[in-house]
Amino acid sequence: MTSIDTSTPRRRRRSLSHGARIAGAIFISVLFLFPVFWMVLTSFKEQADIFTTPPKLFFDATVRTYTEYFTRADIPQRLLNTVIVATGAGILSIVVGTLSGYALARIRLRGAATFGVLILMSRGVPPIALAVPMFLVARNMGLTDKHITLILAYCTFLIPYVMWLMRSFFVSLPKELEESAMIDGCSRFGAFFKIIVPISMPGILSTLIFSIILAWEELLFALVLTSRDAVTIPVAIAGIAGDTETGANWAALTAVGTITVIPVVVFALLVQKWLIQGLADGATKG
Amino acid sequence: MSTLDIKDVHKSYGAIDVIHGISLNIQDGEFVALVGPSGCGKSTLLRMIAGLEEVTQGDIAIGERTVTDLPPKARDIAMVFQNYALYPHMNVRDNMGFALKQRRTPKPEIRQRVDDAARILGLEALLDRKPRALSGGQRQRVAMGRAIVRNPNVFLFDEPLSNLDAKLRVQMRSEIKELHQRLGTTTVYVTHDQIEAMTLADRVVVMNGGVIEQEGPPLELYDHPKSVFVAAFIGSPPMNFLEGTIQNGDVFKLDDGTALKLPKGDPKGRERITMGVRPEHFELTDAGWPATVSVVEATGSETQITARMAGKMIRVLVRGRTDVKAGQTIHLKASPELIHMFDPAPIPDVALEEDY
Ligand SMILES: Nc1ncnc2c1ncn2[C@@H]1O[C@H](COP(=O)(O)OP(=O)(O)O)[C@@H](O)[C@H]1O
Ligand SMILES: [Mg+2]
Repeated sequence: MTSIDTSTPRRRRRSLSHGARIAGAIFISVLFLFPVFWMVLTSFKEQADIFTTPPKLFFDATVRTYTEYFTRADIPQRLLNTVIVATGAGILSIVVGTLSGYALARIRLRGAATFGVLILMSRGVPPIALAVPMFLVARNMGLTDKHITLILAYCTFLIPYVMWLMRSFFVSLPKELEESAMIDGCSRFGAFFKIIVPISMPGILSTLIFSIILAWEELLFALVLTSRDAVTIPVAIAGIAGDTETGANWAALTAVGTITVIPVVVFALLVQKWLIQGLADGATKG
Repeated sequence: MSTLDIKDVHKSYGAIDVIHGISLNIQDGEFVALVGPSGCGKSTLLRMIAGLEEVTQGDIAIGERTVTDLPPKARDIAMVFQNYALYPHMNVRDNMGFALKQRRTPKPEIRQRVDDAARILGLEALLDRKPRALSGGQRQRVAMGRAIVRNPNVFLFDEPLSNLDAKLRVQMRSEIKELHQRLGTTTVYVTHDQIEAMTLADRVVVMNGGVIEQEGPPLELYDHPKSVFVAAFIGSPPMNFLEGTIQNGDVFKLDDGTALKLPKGDPKGRERITMGVRPEHFELTDAGWPATVSVVEATGSETQITARMAGKMIRVLVRGRTDVKAGQTIHLKASPELIHMFDPAPIPDVALEEDY
């Protein structure tokens, strides 16, 4: 590790593989970013510029679509719905999932492992198989087209996800941390909230943000469980794309899409910053 | 400060019995070392004293108070873990003051007591650092500091030095001893290193397979081990053992037919025994038990000779230097009171696990 390698062939090979890696990274980035770039580009085009052949890279940019769609009543309302549902589902699932993940990681309980696996397996059921029964239950309870219904529906897939992520995170922390806190005067709950939660904060926040992103983009449950008041942005986008009267309004579609993607990108950048930090460095012998 | 009484304590994990009935009375201010091979139940016993493991059967009392069913926080003990378990999100000052804060000690007093403890351990310059910015030795010191700030009834240590390098380990060992002399707190110290146990403790408790094999002051265990296990475990390099039969009162017949003349018979009159002599208790003579030298290692202050006697490898430690050479035949003797006789028993691995 510390020895200095001066032999040229080795060095050349290393720089070659370095170059290959950079080229690979660029290729993959282009592959993933091009559609996003095209979406943003299209959102600033007039309808006439969208379907030219060959496609235009330079055109008279306009924000007409943005001003039109975001001053209309329904899009801001749907954006607000999405914010409420995504943050609500994210926060509820992080609270429940973190506590149950901790229990799975630490409490010696007969059958805990089986229980955990069963919860994970419930994720193997295709969402469409759950969406229809959920709709029937919601209708019988008079809960269709409400934020809380969607929040609870999202929790059914977010909680197992949070629980397993947090479980593996807690398992990686030495159990002596809580034991030390308990000797120092805490109850188990005290040790969890005063020691484990602060240490795990980067992990908890990252998981929260992933959960919010998952809920933010969810289409199927929202399509089935909402009709007017609680409709979210993905449903609105699907509506624009499937507009059969006037044909799909591509400018509108991409403009709404762009606005929807911005918070996701910001969140993803935040998560990256947190995940880079060492979480429990220094707790143990090192 | 306080006494600690352990009365017939048992521990099982499900169907597996780990501790099979241990009783131990520890005096106020006494330093007791629990020593034994890995897996013999030392940590389990210590964790039951701390309240981190349930006691399956039996009772534990600290002072006059039975604590068997009390949670750790109600026992007024402090523990130093093998991996230190420092709170990574708090700086050294907050790590050390955490227990006092939990007890709602006034802030100025916390400050004062953390400062005092930091001075004792030489941590003053590190108080504002996070654990991740400390070396292994410094982390170990902070873990100790966290324990002494509390001024608890009992200190519990679980192999606190085993993650340090050899030199630091020796240094911290004397610091722990000094600390105990200064504070006089009742201490239970778990280690698998018999030298640590011997040098630190007022009393050494040798554990084996979930029971106490023998307990007593360090030198008493060295001088009068009651079993092959204790004899093998205490002392380094370990005792030499030979198994055989006593014939005609003072002839020791080994299984390969070699006969050694003993300076004394077995006081208990057993026929078959395991005989033990410590390497440092052999003397070189002109006519004694013959052995063929295979290796001679001199360090200046002493010389270790490895030799074969009746087909068995033995070690001889002589003070100073000697002109013995490999391949030569030497003759050995030991004074009668330094020849140990035990019930025959297999020699535990610890005697072969060389770590000195
Ligand atoms: N949670 C547990 N479940 C089952 N067995 C355990 C558990 N903890 C410890 N043991 C067993 O108890 C025995 C004693 O362990 P321990 O007290 O850690 O030994 P030591 O500290 O002397 O090395 C070991 O055989 C170990 O496998
Ligand atoms: Mg142990």
